[in-house]
This record gives sequence, structure tokens and C-alpha cells, in this order.
Amino acid sequence: MDSPRTIRFDIFRFDPQDPQDSPKMVTYEVTEAPGMTVFIALNMLREQQDPSLQFDFVCRAGICGSCAMVINGKPTLACRTLTANYPEGKITLMPLPGFELIGDLSVNTGKFMRELAERLQLWLQPNADVVNIHGLETPMDPEEAAKLYELERCVECGVCVSACATKQMRDTFVGAVGMMKIARFEMDSRDARSADDFYHVIGNQDGVFGCMTLLGCQDTCPKDLPHMQQIAYLRRKMAQTIPDSNRII
Amino acid sequence: MQIIYTDTLVIGAGLAGLRVAIASKERGLDALVLSLIPAKRSHSAAAQGGMQASLGNTVKGLGDDEDVHFQDTVKGSDWGCDQTVARMFAHCAPKAVRELANWGVPWTRVTKGDRQVIVNAEKVTLTEAEEAHGLINARDFGGTKKWRTCYTADGTGHSLLYAVDNKAISLGIPVHERMEALKIIHDGKRCHGVIARCLITGELRAYIAKSTTIATGGYGRIYEVSTNAIICEGIGQALALETGVATLGNMEAVQFHPTAIVPVGILTTEGCRGDGGLLRDKDGYRFMPDYEPEKKELASRDVVSRRMTEHMRKGKGVDSPYGPHLWLDITLLGRKHIETNLREVKEICENFLGIDPAKDWIPVRPTQHYSMGGIRTNHTGESPQLAGLFSVGEAACWDMHGFNRLGGNSLAETVVGGMIIGKYVADYGEQHPLDINTALIEQFGATLKTEIDQLIEGTGTENAFDLKLAMQKIMMDRVGIFRNGAELQQAVDELSALLERAKNIGLNCKKRHANPELVEALRVKRMLKVALTVACGANARTESRGAHSREDYPQRNDKDWLNRTLASWPDENSLLPTLSYEALDVMQMELPPGYRGYGVNNAISHPDTEKRQQQIDDILAQLGEVDRHVKQAALMPFELPAALRPHNERLSDTLVTRGDKA
Amino acid sequence: MATNFLPNNSTNKGHFIKDFSHPIWAARADKLQSLSGIMLGVFIVMHLHFESSILLGKEAFYHVVQFLEGGVFSESGHGYPLLTQIFSAFMLLVVIVHAVFALRRFPTQLGQWQALRKQMQFLPHEDTKIWFWQMVTGFGLFFMVPVHLFTMMLDPAIGPHLSAERVYYDNAWLLYVLLLPAVVVHAIFGLYRVCVKWGLVSQRFALLKLAKIIVAYLLVIGVASLIAYIVIGRSLELPIIPYVPMN
Repeated sequence: MDSPRTIRFDIFRFDPQDPQDSPKMVTYEVTEAPGMTVFIALNMLREQQDPSLQFDFVCRAGICGSCAMVINGKPTLACRTLTANYPEGKITLMPLPGFELIGDLSVNTGKFMRELAERLQLWLQPNADVVNIHGLETPMDPEEAAKLYELERCVECGVCVSACATKQMRDTFVGAVGMMKIARFEMDSRDARSADDFYHVIGNQDGVFGCMTLLGCQDTCPKDLPHMQQIAYLRRKMAQTIPDSNRII
Repeated sequence: MQIIYTDTLVIGAGLAGLRVAIASKERGLDALVLSLIPAKRSHSAAAQGGMQASLGNTVKGLGDDEDVHFQDTVKGSDWGCDQTVARMFAHCAPKAVRELANWGVPWTRVTKGDRQVIVNAEKVTLTEAEEAHGLINARDFGGTKKWRTCYTADGTGHSLLYAVDNKAISLGIPVHERMEALKIIHDGKRCHGVIARCLITGELRAYIAKSTTIATGGYGRIYEVSTNAIICEGIGQALALETGVATLGNMEAVQFHPTAIVPVGILTTEGCRGDGGLLRDKDGYRFMPDYEPEKKELASRDVVSRRMTEHMRKGKGVDSPYGPHLWLDITLLGRKHIETNLREVKEICENFLGIDPAKDWIPVRPTQHYSMGGIRTNHTGESPQLAGLFSVGEAACWDMHGFNRLGGNSLAETVVGGMIIGKYVADYGEQHPLDINTALIEQFGATLKTEIDQLIEGTGTENAFDLKLAMQKIMMDRVGIFRNGAELQQAVDELSALLERAKNIGLNCKKRHANPELVEALRVKRMLKVALTVACGANARTESRGAHSREDYPQRNDKDWLNRTLASWPDENSLLPTLSYEALDVMQMELPPGYRGYGVNNAISHPDTEKRQQQIDDILAQLGEVDRHVKQAALMPFELPAALRPHNERLSDTLVTRGDKA
Repeated sequence: MATNFLPNNSTNKGHFIKDFSHPIWAARADKLQSLSGIMLGVFIVMHLHFESSILLGKEAFYHVVQFLEGGVFSESGHGYPLLTQIFSAFMLLVVIVHAVFALRRFPTQLGQWQALRKQMQFLPHEDTKIWFWQMVTGFGLFFMVPVHLFTMMLDPAIGPHLSAERVYYDNAWLLYVLLLPAVVVHAIFGLYRVCVKWGLVSQRFALLKLAKIIVAYLLVIGVASLIAYIVIGRSLELPIIPYVPMN
């Protein structure tokens, strides 16, 4: 059997709460094991070499979206990134840009997503508030349900936000995650909001008309969501919409 | 120390916790949720397969109702569950599904006409009714009589969690993220809230509330390999345990899921088998029909897991560097089905195994998956010992699962339990004042601060990471699928020794704010106590029931063990929990203990069983031809909040009416 | 509920559409930028082909010019150079529209520029890089295109010899050497972006490949024709006599 490789990790380290600390890259070495992921390697590092190393993992199965970080220049989910994918055995880890840094590789995506949801009202707003939960449910076109699920697969990992140069330049831009979700509710026949209502939220420079189609979102989304298609759909839809406030003239 | 006041405090922002918070907020109470992580990252999202609710829309679900769901649940629990709770649950499951549809869940819907499915390795054509078109669909899951598992492709938990969290956001319910509750504030009778530590700043904060609901999920991570998220460490159970008053129920009831991938232990959904996937051994032979000729791969989870282990022990496992495993074969479902309905499975196979499940078999092995045990509550979700302390979901032993949970009943428990208990929590909030005892708050805050000071400034030498790994290995090796007295005793002894050592933990990283090592140290001490309740409970229970399988006591023993284990920790310096037992009253059961339908029927029966059966027969004979609801009420009346009492309408009701008119 | 819908940026009910801060201008600006971009892009492709007809010989170019100057309608058959002036003025207008709406994309603050550079350094990404070059070329074109258009408006004389004179003796080649790659890159990748932006094409990577091929092709014919004019220019003596076909 070949002797296992030694993987070299260059990891961004910074504790913003420590006034003495400044950002730096620190190098660690780990002996590779079969099937090793960045999740496994980082935990080994913390347990055996540096217990202060900060990073976020929850499901470690690629479904919760906690562990997005920039791995060798590409933002992606660390838990499902195999070290074997890097034949040179050198892995550079940086925190996702565009989010508040908690420390080292840990960023506050949760806060960002909650604020985004509040700002864009990213929840279903049905016609009737009170429904009979004891009677038969309202039928829904099976195709529509399947399509909605496709758009709902976003795990809010923040990769699209970090990969978007537009977002990096303009902090108030909603990013692909916001538009993806708006598109999802716009398509949902149960949602009472009109195109007009959506225009007020994303028909602006911080929304769909601020997107410059750089497609970092499309090229990095770990869930392969159709960002390009959905944003284009939303743009067409919004471009046809005349906002309500015009009718006063 | 900052003190934050609210009416309803919820620990854990998974489905169950959020649902409880929503119920309070809808009643005009103030609600606040604490979470280790952003709500949408909670482990609820990992439930791929679906949730059981007897809607009966699909042709394979026709004839389903609460009665059938109830019976499946009770049988699945190996008669270890609380039957009134199982009734409450089965009755409200359809309501929860329908409510969620209105909150945005894109449930997979029935398409009228013919469709091809795989049943028992053969293609079968199902014809869905015209009237069912667009209604909520269901798939097959293990241990159920009907196709009852409602789903959204293979991301049901994800869709549900997102819909429920969105609802919580729309109601403006604050979720304090990265806050870890570490102490319950109580006076021995009443729970007043918690002391929590901010994982970012290290700040300690008191949250004072009328009611405190623990919804922190299971304790799977006391095992080395688990399908659970890494945050499912049983801290919620430890919180209750450390009060010294509240009890944990049936902690030894730990479920092993048959099909987690090897070696990392990530789950592939039961939907794989529900949709027609097969289990094969090293010769490619489909072995399950030999063991369970009737249900085959779709026998209850505990049964399939044991049969798989049995088969591997016969040398039929596939050897690998990580020990033997078996194969899950879903190639026969076809690429299209896999890429739409089982896509998460496909992604997991591609990313973690580098295989294509449409072409290759998946290496699987039974792996720790679910905690039936948890914080003991009564049917309203409240701790019988500590007023104002509630628990819901996997964290609780509300006890609808007994000693084995059916697939699709856990996701269902989160939202159904959350719906029901949420109402009781709101009732509690309306009926009780906010009790503020600052001395008590300071006292608990100081205790926690001392604990942290000692870790940081003390002279301890033990390494928290090492202790945790040692505990996890003990649980894997000695408190696994098959258990025996000798190994369990050894496990108890070793865990006690670890708990002793845990008093001497020292830290390398001395930071008071964001410090992963400190987090680990605080947790491992608590986890060890939880692990001890599992090992001690298993050691004491000298029978086999559901997922608790003793090689030295292979029979289910209703005569001596038709009861619920209760564990508490009255003396904080003790190295062992105190166990007591709560009998399950056969004379109150709607479904007296019987044969579960797997393997040999060798249960030692309870003396009351026959008597109760006779009583039931008499009651039913007396009633004559009456509505099934009347019969049920006569056998075992159960309580529910008024808003949830109405009967559930089903397609079959209207279909029959139409037939009559024609 | 639709009724409690609060716009996140102050959308001022009292404003008139004429006011650029009105929300409708967000949609309009995007549409106008894309539309003017398509017009300019398509025009550039045609323009480069027309002027490259010199590669087929002086006579070919002569006829192209005659045709485009409306030769069929003029009695002499030589067309009206005024058309070139009018057209140039019109194109200038389109360029202005395009520039006005494209300018909002430019990083206007130093912080934005730094963010962009940092992003490109740490997260290299092809489409972002392409856009960056489009922005840089767009910036250059903002200055070069008006120069070119004003020249054409002031002196609309086009022909095999007249153009060669401009290129060689008036040193216009200096401008064209910069203008050609800038305009080709900007226009073709701009057209690519418009297609994906509005979802006109779903085969993005095929389209991107096609765009790169077209860029290369246009650069080749552009450079070749520029060389051709220089060669012609060098062979001519001042004062230039306009080219007329032999027969």
C-alpha cells in the first residue's frame, strides 16, 4: 500500500474580538485518510493541533449549508469536499467574503439570511389567513409543486453571495439567494402577491436590475440551482411590470 | 449578567421548537427562540423521506385513517408507547400536513391516471383517481399498512423547516442564534428559564420565561458514528437531567437506521427502500425475504437493522477497511426516478462515495439514527416534575414512539407535537404569571460562571476531545444494536470512570469568547451523564423490546417490563443516574400488547392483556354498528385542545358520497 | 398580505415617471441599456464587415460605400456623404444613451473598486473577469468612440483612398489600433451577456465559446483591413485623388 499523503492546509486565521490579533494565514499538515473530507481534516486539526480553530459544521452531509468557505479560490461546502480532489495536496481555506466574520473560517450567514428574509418578505403570503385544516386540502398542479421544490432546494449557504462581484461592490444588493426566493414565491399559485408587489421589493438597483449577470452564483451553487434562468425570468417579468405607483398619473 | 424576559422561551430552532414558538405568538404571547445555529440549519432539514399522515389520497393509501396510523405506531413501538399520545398524534397529523401546505410546503401531489412504481422488485402500474389529482401524495415507508408518508421529493424536512421558519420570521419571532443554553433556572418545582452562553462573545445571559420548552433534538452524537448532525449531542436532555428533578424517559431506546453509508454514516432515506430499493449481501443476494418473508426490506427499522447485523455476523457482509457492510441497490428504480425523487441520495453518493447510484450499489450499514428516549413529559408536553418545563420533538419522551419509531413518524412528531404542545404551552403562558426571582437567577448564573472559570483557570489535565471520543467508542462498542449484560455493565463502569475524569478537564485555549475547546468541555461533561442514562437503562432492562435488543434476554417481557424507564440525577456528584419505572397500564390501552408480526412470537404476556382484550370485545359488542370515532372514544378517550378536535375529512368520504348520489 | 407590502427603498408615490428616481426607471434603464447595447453591437459587427470589404479589393469597398451612402437614390450614383454624418450623429446619440445607463454599473467609489479587485484575486471566475474587461473597454470607448464619430461627422468622406488617407496620413490608425480590440471585446461579450441576462439562450457555455470565436474572427478581419488601409495609404501620394472604378 502507498503511504498516505500529507496534506498541507493554509488556513485564514483571525479573531476579530482580540484587539491584539491581525489576519494571517497559518499552515497545518494533516495525514490523509481514505475518503477524507475538509470536514474531517478540520476537526482533526482542532482536536489534535489547535483547539482554538473556528469553523462551522452542522449536518456534515451537504444539506444544511453551514460550512461554506472558499477552498482554493472556489466557494463551496467544505463538508462534502474530498481532499482527494486536490492532487497537489495543497488546500487553502478562506472564510466566505461578504459576511460578518465571527473568527477564522466562521462567518455569520445566519444573520444575513434572516435580515434578507425580513427585508424581502420571503415567506408565503396566502390569500386567506384562516384555512380549514380539517377539510380536504386545496389541490395544486403536481407539476407546479415539483417545480417549486426545485427552486426551494436552496440551503442558504451564502456561496452565491460570496461569488457575486456585484454584491461585493454593492452591499445592499440582494444577491442570487434573494432573487431565487422571490422567483419561488412569484411562481407559487398560493401566494397572493402580484407582480407589482414584487416589483416594489426587487424592481430596483439593489434587486434584479442591479444584477450584472456575472453568474458567479450559477457557477458555484452547490445545489446547482438554475440561478441564471430564474434571475432572467424574474427580470423579464419585472421589466413587463409597471409599478403601481404610476397609475396615479 | 443581562436578563431577558419573555413569555414562551424555546430552546432549539428546529421544526418542533419553531412550531411551539409560532403557536404562542399566534395567541399574542411573546416568544423567543435560542439556537446553537441559524434556524434553517437545524437537523430537521435532514429528514429526507417524509412525514406520516393518514390523508389517504393515493390509491395505495385508500382506506387509511387515524385508526390504522395509530395501530401501526403502537405496533412499531413494540407496545412501549403512550397510546393516548399516539392517538393525539395520529389524529392531528393530517391537520399539520394541511396547515403546512398553507405555509408554503410544496408537497408532492397526486397525478391522476397511471403511473409505474416498483413494489417488491417488480414494476406495478398504479391508477390514481381523477378526484385525487393535485391532492397531497404519499409514499411507502417501513412498518406501515398503507402508503402514508407525505413528502416533497426527497427534501421533505428541508421544505418543512424552511416553511416553518419563514412563518416564524413573518411573525417576527426572534431567534437568538449561536446561544447555548447550559443551565435551567428552577426552584425544584418550577422552571423559570435558562442561563445561556453566547458562542461568539462568551457572554452569559439569563432568559426568564413563563414556560421553557426544550426542543433540542436527540442525543445521537454520544455515539461515534451517527446519522445525526454534529450538534445533536443531547445537551437538551442534560439540561433537564442536571436539574436533579426532571426525569428522562426510555433513554435506552436508541434506533439504528438500516441504511447509512459507510464509513461516514450519512443517511440514505428509507424512501430508497420505500420506492423499491433492495438490500443485497456480498454475493449480491437479496437476503431480507429469507428473514422477513412478508415485509422484506420494509419491515420496521429496528427489525431490518438487526437482520442486517445478523446477516453480516454470518459472514455475508462485504469486507471493507471500515468493517463489513451490505449493499443498498436502487439501480432498478431507474435514473429518472433517482434524479428527481432521490436526488439528495444521488448527491450524497456522488460527493461522499464517488459512485453513481443509478449504476452502482451503495455501501450501507445500520447506524445510530434516532433517540426515542428524551425528557419525560406528560401528554401536554410538560415535565411531570418541573412545572413550566416543556419538551417536544426528538428531545422529548412524549412517548409516541415507545421502543421503536416508524420511519416518517419523527418529522411528523416535530410538527404535530409542536402543534399540539404549542397550544398547551400557550395555555400555560396565559394562565401563569412571570415569576422573577433574581437571587435564583444570580445563583444559577454564578454556578455556570464558576464552572467556566474552573475550566479556564483551573489546573485540570484531561483533554475534552479525548474524553468525548472515548465515550463515543464505548457507546458504539457496547451499547449498540445487540446488547448483553456483561458489555453493558462494562460500559456503565467505563462511562462512570470517564465522568470522574471529566471533573478534571483542562483547556489549552484560554479564551473566554469564541472558544471551541471550551464549548466541547462544557458539553462533554453533560453528554457523559446522558450516555450513562442510556447505558444504565439498557443494562437494567432485561428484556428485548423494539430497538432495545438484549442477546441475553431475547424475549419481549410484558409481564415484568411493560413500563417506561425514568432516569434522574438527584445528586450532582454521583457518577450514576437514579432509575425508576413508570408502568404502562394495559387496562387503559386501546390496543393491548400483541404479536408485532416479525420473527417468532415469543413475548411473555402481561397478566392483564387477556382481561383487557375481553373488556374491549365486550365494549365493542355492546356498541354494535356505530361510527369508528364512537368506538374509539369508548375504548380510550383522549384529550386534545379544542381547535384540533374536529374529524379529518378524506377523499374517501366525498368519493363515497358521490357514489351514493349516482 | 399584499396590503401590508412595504417597499424597501423609499418609493415615493408622488413622483412622476419623468423623475429618474421613480422605480420604473430601474426597469427602463436596464431595458434601454440592453437595447442600445444590442443596436451598437449589431452595428459594430456590420460596420467591421463593411470596412473589411477592402480585403476583397478597392472596387468592392467602393461599391459598399456607394450603396450605404444611398448611391441608388442619387443621380450620380455616388450617394450622399451627408447620410454618414446623420448616421454618425444618430449613433452618437445611441452611444450616449448606452453610456448613461451603463455608467451606473461602474464602481464609483474606491471601496467598490478595491472590493472588485480583491474578489477577482481571491475568487477567480471567468464571467467576472470578462465583465471586468468589458468595463475597462467600456471606459476606454467612452472617450474613443466620440472622437471617431466626431471625425466622421466633420469629415464624412469615405472611400478606398479617402479612408486610407485618414488611416495613414491623418494617423487615425493610432486610434483604430486601440479602438478595434476594445470595441470588439466590449460588443461581442456584451451581446453574449444580453442573451444570458434576459434568458434568450440557455446553452450558455456554447454561446460563450461562440462569442470567443467571433471575437477572434473580428479581430483578424479588423487588423487585416487596417493593415490593408495602411498599405494602400503608403502607396498613395498627396494630395489624394478619390478612387473611382476603372470602367
